[in-house]
Amino acid sequence: MLKMVLIGAVAVPAIAAGSVAATGVVVVDVKEPRGGQHIVVPVPLALAQVAAAFVPEDKMHLRLPREAEQYMPVARQVLSALADAEDGELVRVEEPGKKVSIRKEGGVLRVSVDDGAEHVKVQVPISLALSVLPEPGSRFSPSDAVWALQHARLTEVVNVQGRDGEQVTVTVY
Amino acid sequence: MRVRTLGLAGVSALMLAAPVRSEAPASRAWIHVRVEEPSRQSKVSVNLPISVVDAALQAAPEKIMSNGHIHLGRVGRHDLSVSDLRKAWNEMKATGDAEFATVEEDDQTVRVARAGNLMLIHVDKPSGKESVRVEVPIEVVDALFSGQGEELNLRAGFAELQKRRGDIVRVKDDHSTVRIWIDEGK
Repeated sequence: MLKMVLIGAVAVPAIAAGSVAATGVVVVDVKEPRGGQHIVVPVPLALAQVAAAFVPEDKMHLRLPREAEQYMPVARQVLSALADAEDGELVRVEEPGKKVSIRKEGGVLRVSVDDGAEHVKVQVPISLALSVLPEPGSRFSPSDAVWALQHARLTEVVNVQGRDGEQVTVTVY
Repeated sequence: MRVRTLGLAGVSALMLAAPVRSEAPASRAWIHVRVEEPSRQSKVSVNLPISVVDAALQAAPEKIMSNGHIHLGRVGRHDLSVSDLRKAWNEMKATGDAEFATVEEDDQTVRVARAGNLMLIHVDKPSGKESVRVEVPIEVVDALFSGQGEELNLRAGFAELQKRRGDIVRVKDDHSTVRIWIDEGK
């Protein structure tokens, strides 16, 4: 009997940890400046999606404006073509004290915004962007968007360094 | 001048091209737009694989473009239609190298000419500080006018554009410079 309890005590957390690892975890890391608080919040993707399933249907889906909806096929085609294209810098804007860059590297779009005091880096896998684009006639679903983060595994999706030295990163494992 | 020249450059970006080297493989080509405003110390670069622009054209909503054709109808104060332009283009094309129009005004000179397989549109201000250079390969204009009636065949025009390498548009004025070109690089 004790053996069964021990096996259960080891197996249940192991299976749970394995399941979480298999489905992905989003880790939000917030560091306050000058030795302030350091908060790390791991959110299993599966859990986030289960939570999303309890949100009322009418609050879950966003209907895109018709004008935006008709450009979804264009966005899809452009993203698909970008995925197949060579890597390179797509956009660069330089003004005094400001720099914006959008690069395509592998299957990832890297957006970097630097205004001297704040630095923001966002990395969006093209497959993630494609998976959240709604099909014609369908609606944008935050639940699907959460699940689509699976496409961004092992990616630091967001890195923000604030003007006061605070740093926020969002990484998908 | 500034608004007009920038507008001209923007429209031309999709439609026009000048060959420096031609017949290069289209799939690896990139189209580049560079806008610089020295007075604001501002530089904007946009670089797009031709395949991405092509994909956008292919998927453009019906409202904007139907089967690669754009319907313009009659445009401008003088009610000039696309079919009128097509007829004029066919006449001009048949004449070979020639200066088709030179408009000299107090503040600018506009010159439209054909040289070899290029249509040249040059706008110059007397000060020399402002100028527009658009060089359009004959094949691109031919392809654009291959639509019917009041339609321009943008898709065919862009297909020709993909074969080109080199400058498409250069605009310079007091405040800014705009350059649009196609090459093999990023």
